Amino acid sequence: MAPFRAPYIPDHDGENLQDVPSMADPAVVAMRHLRGELAAAPHSLPAAIALAAAYTDYSRQIGDAHYAGYAEAVIAPWLAADHPPAGVLVAEATILQYRHQFNDARALLQRALAIDAGNAQAWLTLATLDMVQGDYAAAGKDCRQVTGSAGFAYGLACSGNLFAYVGKARQSLALLHQAESGGATAPSTFQAWVQGLLAESAERLGDWPLAETHYRNALKLLPQDNFLLVAYADFLLDRGRPQEVLPLLADHTQSDTAFLRLALAQSALESQDAQRYVWIMAARFEALKLRGSDYFGREEARFALQLEHDPQTALDLAQRNWQLQRAPWDARVLLEAALAAGQPQAAREVLEFVQKTNLEDPVIVPLAQRLRAQLNRLAAAPAAGSQPPGAHP
Amino acid sequence: MKRLIGGVLAIAALALQSPDVLAHSASDAYLTLTVDAGKTGGQRVIHGQWDIALRDLDFVLKLDDDGDGHLTWGEVRHHQAAIARYAYANLRLAGTAGDACRITPQRQMIDEHADGAYATLFFTAICAPQTTKLALGYSIFFAIDPSHRGIFVMQDGANTATAVLSPEHATIDLTL
Repeated sequence: MAPFRAPYIPDHDGENLQDVPSMADPAVVAMRHLRGELAAAPHSLPAAIALAAAYTDYSRQIGDAHYAGYAEAVIAPWLAADHPPAGVLVAEATILQYRHQFNDARALLQRALAIDAGNAQAWLTLATLDMVQGDYAAAGKDCRQVTGSAGFAYGLACSGNLFAYVGKARQSLALLHQAESGGATAPSTFQAWVQGLLAESAERLGDWPLAETHYRNALKLLPQDNFLLVAYADFLLDRGRPQEVLPLLADHTQSDTAFLRLALAQSALESQDAQRYVWIMAARFEALKLRGSDYFGREEARFALQLEHDPQTALDLAQRNWQLQRAPWDARVLLEAALAAGQPQAAREVLEFVQKTNLEDPVIVPLAQRLRAQLNRLAAAPAAGSQPPGAHP
Repeated sequence: MKRLIGGVLAIAALALQSPDVLAHSASDAYLTLTVDAGKTGGQRVIHGQWDIALRDLDFVLKLDDDGDGHLTWGEVRHHQAAIARYAYANLRLAGTAGDACRITPQRQMIDEHADGAYATLFFTAICAPQTTKLALGYSIFFAIDPSHRGIFVMQDGANTATAVLSPEHATIDLTL
């Protein structure tokens, strides 16, 4: 079947055209309730912040940017004021962070903290920003502020998250286990977050059974969470279990990040449908470009490398992405692309970062070693410097 | 808002972060205008096709009557008049002399895009014969979602013009 067809009129009334948020979902009902409350009191800042927070949470949970836009519209009147309240600045910063507008998000958080130095959400969002951008010294300071403003369980989770990026995955697990017991009465979102972080730290150590246990714990708490589903799908793909990705993400085809994992799974299974998935994924990236969004660098690079078999494009995308975000996956896709493109010199910055931060990872560390060896060979034989290593007999 | 003090209260109030990008694209609509080569009765005729995501329309107009999370053709069909009213109230085509073009809705169909099903609204715009410059005003969804974008394409003979319509860029000038 061709993925698209010309505009048409469906044959019968019962044809399901589009899944939309269902009233059976308590979060949808809660949002509708909050929307009614704001409509009844349109000048109420607490009502606006509550609705914006509900939209943003839902947006994060199902990974849907539409709801971030709705949240933005709700707080827009306050944001446009001369002196926006801290809560509004933080709400907008959270939305911008989701869109990977990191610099704008950071500026708003700093304004919020100038008004309210103990704003827990601001510190937590800033910690996330600093971690994803690889500024671990700043993230350490942020985590201490998180402890002071949000309490111990949060502080432990924040530091536990950070330790996994700086060669202290064992300590990370210990801190996260403390956060796990300290937050036993906390909402399921907190517990699922900690379980997801535990899985990530276990992956850093190459402890696959432990990682899988924690992914499953997290998904038991939040079965629809796009971030967790995609992280677990990556785990399964890496473990050579693509057939398990298909049922896991079957109901999440609208998510672009989930769709990429489905396409990767179909490709690994050499299924007849694989090409159709690649085609639709390419169309989705194209649609994003049309609207002027290019914040899917990590996913686009992976797509170019693994599904379009175009290492040079993948490398260009990964290098651009590296200027924006520096999580382990961002390093990994760049190293993989540099290796595939035969351009170890393009990986220099990432190799330095991996070394400086002591990043532990059973995939990234061997990749880095291979690239360093290639660079050393290049340095030893300058005449061959313009040739890709491995290209000569 | 009441200031929160430590402990479980703060935990309950905090939104958890993940650095992952939002995985569904934000809202897009696709507006294509094709300038008719001939002049029907001396007037300028423009054919329009406007693809608007059903999930966006559902958020504003509540198309899913039974709330089961599945938008059927029957439900969409039942709301076609409301969809047309809402959409065309947010689209303006006017000559620079201030003479508005008359937009006449034609039919509605369904179109499938990579991110879901869209309502396709076909229309014609009839403008005065001397019209050479037009202003297009586009405002659908901006009030409820400032991240909405209208992907605009105009075809006039061999010429194609494109633009991205946004709250900051909601009006564009067109030369026929």
